[in-house]
Amino acid sequence: MNQSLRNLLKEWFAKAKHYLRAIWLENLKEWKIELTYKPDFIRGLIDPLVYALPYLLYGIALVGGRTSENLNRLVGTNDLITFVTLGYIFVGFLNMALWAMGFALRKEQHWGTLEAVFAAPVPRWVFALGMALHSTLHQGLMIFLQIIVINLIFKLTIHPQGILPSLVVIGLMLIALYGFGLMIASLTLILKQGWLVSEALSGIMMIITPIAYPLSVLPVFMQKAALFLPTTYGVMTVRHFLIGEQMGFSLWTSFLRLVILGIFWVGVGMLIFEIIDRRTRRSGTIAHY
Amino acid sequence: MNFKAQLRIVISEFQKSIKIWLAYPILLVFWVIAPLMWLLPFIFQGKALVGGMHSEAFKNLTGSPNYLPFVLIGAMVSTYIFSGLWGVGNSLREETYWGTLEYIIASPASPILVLLGKTLAEFLYASVNVGLQALLATLFLGLNLTITKILPVLVIVLLLVIGFYGFAIAFAGLTLLIKEAHGWVHTIEWVFYLFSPIRYPVEVSPITKTLSALIPLTYALVAIRTIILLNKNLGDLHKIIFILLIMDIVLLLGGYIIFRLSERRTKVAGTLGQY
Repeated sequence: MNQSLRNLLKEWFAKAKHYLRAIWLENLKEWKIELTYKPDFIRGLIDPLVYALPYLLYGIALVGGRTSENLNRLVGTNDLITFVTLGYIFVGFLNMALWAMGFALRKEQHWGTLEAVFAAPVPRWVFALGMALHSTLHQGLMIFLQIIVINLIFKLTIHPQGILPSLVVIGLMLIALYGFGLMIASLTLILKQGWLVSEALSGIMMIITPIAYPLSVLPVFMQKAALFLPTTYGVMTVRHFLIGEQMGFSLWTSFLRLVILGIFWVGVGMLIFEIIDRRTRRSGTIAHY
Repeated sequence: MNFKAQLRIVISEFQKSIKIWLAYPILLVFWVIAPLMWLLPFIFQGKALVGGMHSEAFKNLTGSPNYLPFVLIGAMVSTYIFSGLWGVGNSLREETYWGTLEYIIASPASPILVLLGKTLAEFLYASVNVGLQALLATLFLGLNLTITKILPVLVIVLLLVIGFYGFAIAFAGLTLLIKEAHGWVHTIEWVFYLFSPIRYPVEVSPITKTLSALIPLTYALVAIRTIILLNKNLGDLHKIIFILLIMDIVLLLGGYIIFRLSERRTKVAGTLGQY
């Protein structure tokens, strides 16, 4: 290995270490802020459980129990409680991309620290990734508690051997969602009141992602739109591994599409982030509310 | 302060709130469409679980097998509750963000009058939203809402909101103390979703059935669905009307007392300007 290549690698590793440290510190900062408001933090842990229960109780009210023959006919499993609970986990991941990551920059703006963060000697996407790391850990904790409590109430039945491949699927899906979150985060820089965009997008994604129902009950145009979302493949493949949901496409197709969507959304997210970042700096509107 | 001056405060606050709303017309469009859009997952879930728009199990619990009007009515009526919760309950917190809370509290006007102005504006805004939602639901989703049913429904809605605005005023007072109320508003919102029949019949579980009896929204939704879906009139609902009246008195009085206590405690502690 010649000297210049060695220097290049050394420089690259130093930079990567620097970025990783920044990502970790951003994650720590978020935890510190959240843990300052302890009652609010505890409330936040309970929220996902409260969100999911009306869907489960509505399902029970419709069929008069926890099994549905029609669901069995559509996807090969009749246990609506396990089906909906597993689907609802993905709402947490959607929230992570649309709200936690999407509002990372807007929050800094409210706190009056956005300019200081942007002046730091790391690229802005590093900052957004720190936010992503924090919200992934936070969502993971919330989802874990949600599953434990629902399991205590309703007794979920899953194939334990499907847990490991499910985690791989979730990992792949998260990459794509990070890209999506990056795009939303940058949009808040130009739209300012970006909550409306997040609210609208989260409404649409909650409908077309097959969370509490199979993809086949959606109108055809929604089914087609759902195929562009990583959460569609995430939720269906995880349910396939854990309760044997029939997906209508192969596992290989699902993994391949998740990889493609990951590359696509990360690429789009970084590109849009870069364009908007440059535009707001040129127009001098970063400090605007 | 004489009655005319007090009335002027209420009207001025009402006008201010409306002006702020009108500055964001896109929000009106959003809030008309969003509650109906949030229903779609429940419609698709129903289709997936029962294979159609009717369910016998649902009929056993609600008296009507059709779940679409059930969730539609829940979405429309709950608009009043959630707009009150955010627009009145969270309103003083909003003033903190705008940097205008100290002016309101320090002025010779009673904050209760200011909140009354906000409440009236919120009621008007929610009514416009619900009116447009009802129009869309009748035209596109087949909700059978005839003119003869509208008047009794309005009576029940009024009985619901009077008490609820009492609760919202109490909550507005509490935000002076607890400061960061955003998350708590969300939690209250989901308590309503879980323990009142907005999206599902609470009779499905003895726990939800028992707890729902403490929430006025439960009685209002049962009454409104009985009028619209089971073609009953107000005379058949005298028991529910009586319960709502009692709840209104308790919530209005309780709301006033809690607000006054919270306001005094914040002033004594000197934490009004804190975030």
